[in-house]
Amino acid sequence: MNFLDSPLSKPAPYVVAPIEHRFDPYEDNGGTSVAIAGEDFCVVASDTRQSNGYMINSRYAPKAYKMSSTAVLSCNGFHADGVTLKKVLEQRMKMYKYSHDKDMSVTALAQMLSNTLYQRRFFPYYAFCLLGGVDADGKGAVYCYDSVGSFERENYRTSGSASALIQPFLDNQVGRKNQQNASTAPLTLEAVLRITKDAFTSATERDIHTGDNLQIFVITRDGVEEQNFPLKKD
Amino acid sequence: MNSLVQKYSKSSTAHDDDVLGVHGKWDASLDLAFPTFDIPGAQNPLSFLRNVTDEASSDYKIKIQHGTTTLAFKFQGGIIVAVDSRATMGNYIGSQTVKKVIEINPYLLGTMAGGAADCSYWERELGRRCRLYELTNKERISVAAASKLLANLVLPYKGMGLSMGTMVTGWDKSGPNLYYVDSDGSRIKGDLFSVGSGSTFAYGVLDSGYRNDLTVEEALELGKRSIFHAAHRDAMSGGSVNLYHIHEEGWTYHGNHDVAALFWEYQDLKAEERAAAVGKQ
Amino acid sequence: MSIMEYNGGSVVAMVGKGCVAIASDKRLGQQFMTVSTNFQKIFPASEKTYIGLPGLATDVLTLSERFRFNINMYKMEEERDIEPKTVAHMISSTLYQRRFGPYFVEPVVAGLSKDNTPFICAMDLIGCINFAKDFVVSGTASQNLYGMCESLWEPDLEPEDLFETISQALLNAQDRDALSGWGAVVHIITPDKVITRSLKSRQD
Repeated sequence: MNFLDSPLSKPAPYVVAPIEHRFDPYEDNGGTSVAIAGEDFCVVASDTRQSNGYMINSRYAPKAYKMSSTAVLSCNGFHADGVTLKKVLEQRMKMYKYSHDKDMSVTALAQMLSNTLYQRRFFPYYAFCLLGGVDADGKGAVYCYDSVGSFERENYRTSGSASALIQPFLDNQVGRKNQQNASTAPLTLEAVLRITKDAFTSATERDIHTGDNLQIFVITRDGVEEQNFPLKKD
Repeated sequence: MNSLVQKYSKSSTAHDDDVLGVHGKWDASLDLAFPTFDIPGAQNPLSFLRNVTDEASSDYKIKIQHGTTTLAFKFQGGIIVAVDSRATMGNYIGSQTVKKVIEINPYLLGTMAGGAADCSYWERELGRRCRLYELTNKERISVAAASKLLANLVLPYKGMGLSMGTMVTGWDKSGPNLYYVDSDGSRIKGDLFSVGSGSTFAYGVLDSGYRNDLTVEEALELGKRSIFHAAHRDAMSGGSVNLYHIHEEGWTYHGNHDVAALFWEYQDLKAEERAAAVGKQ
Repeated sequence: MSIMEYNGGSVVAMVGKGCVAIASDKRLGQQFMTVSTNFQKIFPASEKTYIGLPGLATDVLTLSERFRFNINMYKMEEERDIEPKTVAHMISSTLYQRRFGPYFVEPVVAGLSKDNTPFICAMDLIGCINFAKDFVVSGTASQNLYGMCESLWEPDLEPEDLFETISQALLNAQDRDALSGWGAVVHIITPDKVITRSLKSRQD
C-alpha cells in the first residue's frame, strides 16, 4: 500500500489551521573534480573531502566511481544524489549488458547519463557530473554535464566547488589559451598528472570545501588504475 | 496544473515499490519512447523547482547553463543559420565550445537557446520521431510538420519551467522553411529570426544588411558578422561562430570561426576601407 | 544581481623581487551589456603607487577624484610623496566613514615604499585591509584570479617575469568571467620606472 493512502499519513480531522511544509531535499557537500583527456588515456581526479557548510563530514569520502573498465564517473554537489545516480546508472548498465551482450562504451554511457539526468528535469539530481574514459577508438574522452543533462564532449574540464579556480588554469596549461607560439603537441600522462596535482594543491589553498586527499583514476585501453595523493588537511 | 503534473509524470512518492523506476524491466527504448519525469513529492512541485533553479532565489543550487545568440534567415539561396558557442552560469563562463546547432537529420537543423538540456533533449527526441515518420510514410517529414511535432512535444509541460527558444529549419518539398518554436507554445513561420540574450544586437546588424537577393557568400558573411557583433556587446554570448547553409540537398557546415580572431580581422578590414576612402578623396 | 556586479571588472596585484605589478581589465558594462571597452580602473596615487578600483563605476569615478584630492592635499601639506601604506589607510578610513551606506568598490593598492620595499593590499567595501605578501585580487573574476595566482605566482620574480605571470593570470581569469575582459592594462612598478602595457585580449 502507498504510504500516502495509509491512515497514519492522513491529517487528523480536527487540525484546521494549514500546516506549512518546507521541502528542502538538497545539501551542498562541496568537493572538486578534474578530468583531462589525453591521446590514448584519460585522467579523472577528485578530492575526497566531504563537507557541509563549515563542517567536515569526512576526510575520505570518495565521489568518483569506476563504472566500467573504460569509464569513471565523478559527481560533485550533493553526495547522496551522486551515490543514487551512480546506483541507477549501474543498474541500467547491467540491463544494457543483459539485452545486448556487450559492455557499454563511454559514448553510450555518456548519452544514457544525460537521459537519466533529464528524467529528473522537474526534481533534478543535485549533481554536477564529469565522465572520463577511453572511447571505442582508444582515444581519451571527457564528458561534462550540468544538473539536468546538458552535456558536451571536451578535452579537459573541472567541476565542483573550486571549478572557478581551476578552470582558467586548465585553459592556460592544457588548452594553451593566451599563449603565443605554444606547442600543439599532445600532453603526456606525466604532464597531465603534474598539472592535475598542481591544480588541486592550489585550489586547496583557497577553497575550504576542497582538500584532504586526491583520488586519481588513470583510464587506458587496458583498464582503470587508481592513485592517491595527499592534499592539505586544514 | 496538478492534473497536468499527474498526467505526464510519475511521482517518486506515488510509486510504492519502485521509487526510482529503475528496478525490474527497465528498457531504454520503451522508457524513452514515452518519456516520463519524476516529480518532487513537495506540496507545490513547481514552486520547488523554480526555487532551486532561479538565479535570483536564495535557495539557488541547481545551476543551469544559459545565454545565447542564435539567428536564421531565408534568402534567395536558401537559409543561413548562425550561432555563438558560449554557455554562462551566472557570470561564470561554463563553456566556450557549445554546439548550439542541433543536426536533427541531414536536411533539418534546430538551434538552441534557453536551457541547454531542454533544447538538446527535445530536439533529439524530435530527430527520433522524424526518423519514425520517415520509416512509416516512406517520405521525408516536412519542416512544418517537424516544427509542429516539437511544439506539441513541449506544450504539455507549459508552466513547468522548461525554457526553450528554438528555430527549426530545413528544406522540404515546398522549398526552404523556417519556424520559431518556444516552450511557451509559440510556433511562428517567418523569414528572419534571432533568439537569445544577444538577439537585439544581432537584429541590428542583420536588418541593416539583409536583402533577399544576397549571394550565398554574402549571406554567410552577414550571418557571421551579426553573431560576431552580438558576441562583442553581449557578455553572455561569445566563443565562436558556427555557420550553416541550407540548400536543396540539405545543410552544409561552413566552419567554426573564433570570435577572438574575427575581431582583429574586422578591425583590419575597417582600417583598409578607411584608407581606401581617404585615397579616393 | 548584486550591485558589485552591475558594471563588472577585475583588478589583481602581485609582488616581485624589488618590484610590484598591478593589472586590470578594461570593461564597463551595464549588467550583461558592454558599454565601454576602455574604462580606467587603475589610478596613479604617486610616482610609485597605484590604486585599483573595481566595483560600481559611479563610485570608481567619485572615489578616484576624492583620492586624487586627498593625495594632492597630503603632498602640499607634507611636502613629500605619499607612501603606499598611507594611501591604503587613507582609502580604508574613507570607506569606513560610509560604514552604513558604503561605496561599492573593493580597492587594491600596489606600490613601492620610499626604501623601495614592495607593498600590496586589498580591501573590502567598508575598508578592512588585507595586507598580503604575495598577491591580492578583487572584482567579478576574483575567484578565477585566486586560482590562477595561486598556481602561477612564485616568490622573487624579476620585473619581466612578473609581467608575464600577472598577464597570464589576468587574461585567463577574465576569459572565464562574462563581466570582465575586453582588453587589459598592466603596470609594473620598479624603483626607477613604471612600465605600462596594454594587452591584446579576447573581445567577447
